[in-house]
Amino acid sequence: MADASHDLSKTKKSYAAVGIALLVFTVVTVTIGLAPIFDMGPPGPDAMDFVLGLSVAAVKASLVALIFMHLNHEKGLIYKILLFTFLFFLGLMILTIFADTDPILEQFETLKTTRGWLMDKPR
Amino acid sequence: MEIPYEVTPRRDTGLYNAKLGVWLFLASEVMLFGGLFSAYVFLRMGVQPGVDNPWPWGVSVHKNFVWLGAINTIVLIASSVGVVFAWVALKERNWRRYQIYMYFVVACAVIFMCIKSVEYNSKLTKHHGIKLVDNSVMEGVIKDKTDQVRFSGDKLTFSLQGAVPAVLSDFTDESFPAFKVTEGPEELVGNEIKSASEFKSWFAKGRRLAFEKLTEERKRYRGELASGKGNPTPVSVSSSVTLVSSAPFAVSGNPRKLIGHNETTMNYRDAVRVEGKLVSDDVMFEVHEVDLQLVVPTKQPESIVWSVINDKEAKKHFFDLKEKKYNELIAYYEKHGGVVPEAQLRGRYLNVQYVHVAAEGHGEEHGEAKHGEVHASEPKESAGGGESEGHHGPSRVIQVPRDQIKFMSNHGPRYGTYYAIYFTMTALHGLHVVGGALVLLFFAVFGKKLYLKNPEHLANRVEVGGLFWHFVDLIWIFLFPIMYLL
Amino acid sequence: MSAATAHEHSEAHGHDHHEHHDPFWKKYIFSTDHKVIGIQYGFTALLFLAFGFFLMMVMRWSIAYPDRAVPLLADWPWFQAWLDDEGKVTGDLYNMFGAMHGTIMVFLGIVPLAFGAFGNYVTPLQIGAPDMAFPRLNMASYWLYLLGGVLMFVSFFLPSGAAKAGWTNYSPLATTTDLHYGSLFWTGQTQWLVAMALLISSSLLGAVNFICTIINLRCKGMTWMRLPFFVWAMLVTGFLLLLAFPPLEVAAIMQLMDRLAGTSFFVPTGLNVSGMSFDAAGGGSPLLYQHLFWFLAHPEVYVLILPAIAIVAEIIPCNTRKPLWGYKTMVYAVMVLGFLAFIVWAHHMYITGMGPAVSTFFQTTTVLISVPSVILITSLLISMWGGSIRFNVPMLFATAFIPMFGIGGLTGLPLAFSLPDLHLHDTYYVIGHFHYVVAPGTIFALFAGIYHWYPKITGRMMSSRLGHLHFWPSLLFMNGIFAPMFFQGMSGFHRRAFDGGKAYEQISSQIFAEPNSFLANLAEMFHVIDADAPLRMIDLNLVTSGSAWLLAIFQVPFIVNLFISVFVGKKINRDNPWDATTLEWATPTPPPHGNFATEPVAYRGPYEYSVPGAPRDFTPQFETDPGLVAGAEHNSEPEEDLAVSHH
Ligand code: HEM
Ligand SMILES: [Cu+2]
Repeated sequence: MADASHDLSKTKKSYAAVGIALLVFTVVTVTIGLAPIFDMGPPGPDAMDFVLGLSVAAVKASLVALIFMHLNHEKGLIYKILLFTFLFFLGLMILTIFADTDPILEQFETLKTTRGWLMDKPR
Repeated sequence: MEIPYEVTPRRDTGLYNAKLGVWLFLASEVMLFGGLFSAYVFLRMGVQPGVDNPWPWGVSVHKNFVWLGAINTIVLIASSVGVVFAWVALKERNWRRYQIYMYFVVACAVIFMCIKSVEYNSKLTKHHGIKLVDNSVMEGVIKDKTDQVRFSGDKLTFSLQGAVPAVLSDFTDESFPAFKVTEGPEELVGNEIKSASEFKSWFAKGRRLAFEKLTEERKRYRGELASGKGNPTPVSVSSSVTLVSSAPFAVSGNPRKLIGHNETTMNYRDAVRVEGKLVSDDVMFEVHEVDLQLVVPTKQPESIVWSVINDKEAKKHFFDLKEKKYNELIAYYEKHGGVVPEAQLRGRYLNVQYVHVAAEGHGEEHGEAKHGEVHASEPKESAGGGESEGHHGPSRVIQVPRDQIKFMSNHGPRYGTYYAIYFTMTALHGLHVVGGALVLLFFAVFGKKLYLKNPEHLANRVEVGGLFWHFVDLIWIFLFPIMYLL
Repeated sequence: MSAATAHEHSEAHGHDHHEHHDPFWKKYIFSTDHKVIGIQYGFTALLFLAFGFFLMMVMRWSIAYPDRAVPLLADWPWFQAWLDDEGKVTGDLYNMFGAMHGTIMVFLGIVPLAFGAFGNYVTPLQIGAPDMAFPRLNMASYWLYLLGGVLMFVSFFLPSGAAKAGWTNYSPLATTTDLHYGSLFWTGQTQWLVAMALLISSSLLGAVNFICTIINLRCKGMTWMRLPFFVWAMLVTGFLLLLAFPPLEVAAIMQLMDRLAGTSFFVPTGLNVSGMSFDAAGGGSPLLYQHLFWFLAHPEVYVLILPAIAIVAEIIPCNTRKPLWGYKTMVYAVMVLGFLAFIVWAHHMYITGMGPAVSTFFQTTTVLISVPSVILITSLLISMWGGSIRFNVPMLFATAFIPMFGIGGLTGLPLAFSLPDLHLHDTYYVIGHFHYVVAPGTIFALFAGIYHWYPKITGRMMSSRLGHLHFWPSLLFMNGIFAPMFFQGMSGFHRRAFDGGKAYEQISSQIFAEPNSFLANLAEMFHVIDADAPLRMIDLNLVTSGSAWLLAIFQVPFIVNLFISVFVGKKINRDNPWDATTLEWATPTPPPHGNFATEPVAYRGPYEYSVPGAPRDFTPQFETDPGLVAGAEHNSEPEEDLAVSHH
């Protein structure tokens, strides 16, 4: 484990480094969200922003989990528990959404929605 | 027998009990927030364009709060670093430094919650929206709680079989009028009620009385039935009472508790009727923004929002801005090739514009002169401050007739699904912050005894407390982009 | 031999002496001892079961005799508000009792009894642990449970009465019910949510505690594959609770927000309630609630059934004197079951208009999950094959569990497919199906467990004669209640109908008359194709209701037995009266705080019965060398026992 005393100064350095990395990534997140150059495509949020924003968040999260939460030092058991948790979490996310957007039903949905008025010119 | 592995880890699992426990707890927390995240995605994807409120929705949902959110992110990260350093300090057996780090962490939590409350406060008290019956929306501020129905009553009618009437909560203790019972069960007629607490005990008494009578009546009825009488006299117990006050009293009816009102009566959901005289039910509103996302473009010029606002300049300004932005979009897409996507035509970029309704005396008559002023109120100017100060000149408060209103609310959780999930998730997260901070504070203040006895045990506690704390940080790392940026 | 084996009573009492300085309230009320907490759970849960049963009997009256006053109750003051003038059950009352029967039975009765009581009492003993990993957390989870239960109970006495929107509490019905009360917080519907949040928190704490205990506190030698099956089932159950409950907590929080803060999580745009447009922003999704609810509620049915299977799996080997057949297979099956339990939930939602692709997915997983269930049941069945079975009372209940659970499980198969489910959904067929699983299924297993572990808890046996008087009528009447429901359900009898199906009578007599309708075909199958068929289905109500009341009467022997036997039951003369093999029988009787007199060690697997060459027909996990106790026989007298322990 990392707490053997000779390791401690090294540990401290890695904690500081992670802290700084997290701050940097926060700035990146905000920049992606606000700065026009990162606003891929037309103004406003779109799929690209989500991918970028969430990937940065995922990187930050794994830094926290691995270093701050000492996951990098744990044995397999916790990984197993977290793996299952993650699977069920994914199931909850994906299946629920899947149930709402069934690919077969979707074909009917497109027929249903009226799109005509959107083509009107404003004013 | 002692419970084993409280401090030292078990060999085959590599864990002491508390650490395993906290990890399991975190697994369930993942599912808890997982449920909320999946609700977020489900609700967001389920928005039917043109029918449901768009996502996000309302004036300055994001922009004004991004900086607050970003600062909070940094605060939480700093606190996370603080926790690990506190743990290291314990490992180095440095009590003083440990305590300092822990207090730093708790301070961060306090700052976080303060910033959060600034944010909440602004949403709850400084931003309101009114959706009119044709789905056009005005954003701004409802003045002086005029969303309540102002009523001057003198008579109260309700049933003794229900719960304590909700109208009670519309009175303060001082404003409670003195009532006299004029109709109802004979035992009660003539009673006088002077205060809210008196009312409650009187009501309980009356309720008991009504039920006793009902029981008796039913006994009689069933007796008659059983004795073979073909058509027993039906049960009739009047539990309705009428209270009259000596002087008219003012009530402000909370619209959520009313099912309807007219010039002379106000009907509450719980079947309480107040009779008297309507003072006013108009909503006084300071408009900042008009949102026509839910109105078909061809119908927009005739939307009733314009007759409510009744300011030609504001209307013209809205469509001028819209035209301008439309041209910008066209230009953008011509440059990049392709047609403007529907979502863009529909979205807030085009259909939500700031308007400025000039105050009395600057209004329509002198419209020409003030033209320039109206134009100057661009969204960007108010983006930083969060409030409507970007507008030039005083705004006129308009009167919105209640029968034109479909829905109104502050930007609290009621305002739409974005707000609902925003408030729920951030509040739940806030609870975690408070809980975690309290635990860490406890370790910092009262840890000394354990530290002297078995410092490793304290270090373990701080480690697992820290695990929870990092998890809270981790949730925020995701909340920040999805709530503030995307 | 291990000194723990044949611990004498005197020694047990001696142990108690250490605890005597604990005041009464600390020892029995705010206790952190897993056994006391287990018993607290047990009693509270039994009370709630009885209460839930009472609610059901009132409902059954209303179904059987919709036009007659309820006997006995009509003069109770509380009922005045909810019965009509003639003393008949109103729809509101039926809805309230139905919703609360479901809620109380599931969340306050079965789960606390199965997981809270048996899990708490037995698990640490079976793994050789001195207590749970977090004793104080354990206490907290009991008190949270009690608080939740009390809230549920108190909600009956609010002006609004208790919750009325079914145990599923679907939105927007649940969101919009009882909104006309002055204080929204103090309505049954809201209190249901608050109480659920407490119960969920309690279960979460419990689950963390169980998993932690099982993983970290196993005694020396207790390797994974030496764990009794009961412990495995508890582990899987713990994970089910741990990971499935949070989404329901989310749903409860969101529904609470919908009710109290006026949010629109589950309120769709344009909702009208009683002709008025509902004052909310809209944009929410009722389906989201169902997803979140069933994400919990399907795993929940395994929480109801796994402990039951686990109890039976302990009792059967002990009484057949044979090892559990396919122990390893069962362990893997239960793990697979636990995993699959998370991805079948939408089979409760076929009629919400899920698309074919999604519905195919969930049909597949649902059919898949029946495989491990069948493995478990088959293993239990095979375990009995060729054994010399001791049919004592626990074994009777355990044996009956298997066919009862089998019926419940097999009748579930048609519900797994969306097509038959369209017909059967929300009919009495469904009620029959899951009640076979939980009532004659789980409840029988729980009875079995009570009879089985009673001697360890009290040092005395329960009366076998009263036990028989309890078992046989219960078996008969359980079937009398639930078997007719299948036929009613198949002929279209809807659930949650308070008047005993008057509407059904009218509609179905027309449908029956129509040639080639599903019902007509069905009726032909059962040779009841005539105009009276619906009437006959309705007459079955009397069978069901009558059986229900008789069932209630025949619980009296059990209650008497439970209390009387503490004082007059036959004293057991050994710590291991059933000659069982698992570690809980190694403790003194009753086990003192801290459980074991010396640190226990597991030397072998959990079900070493009738090992060839062994001196006796059981070789306990906790004995080093079976040869040493060669003298001990089945029916050894107390003197012999003493001799053995001096040996
Ligand atoms: C042993 C005796 C039991 C009997 C006679 C019984 C009877 C009933 C009846 C008559 C209904 C109402 C059907 C309807 O109108 O829709 C019902 C519903 C229900 N019961 Fe039981 N029950 C028993 C035990 C249990 C147990 C042990 C459980 C728990 C796990 C349980 C869980 C439920 C649930 C969840 C419902 C559905 C409530 C709803 O519609 O929301 N019951 N039961
Ligand atoms: Cu299911």
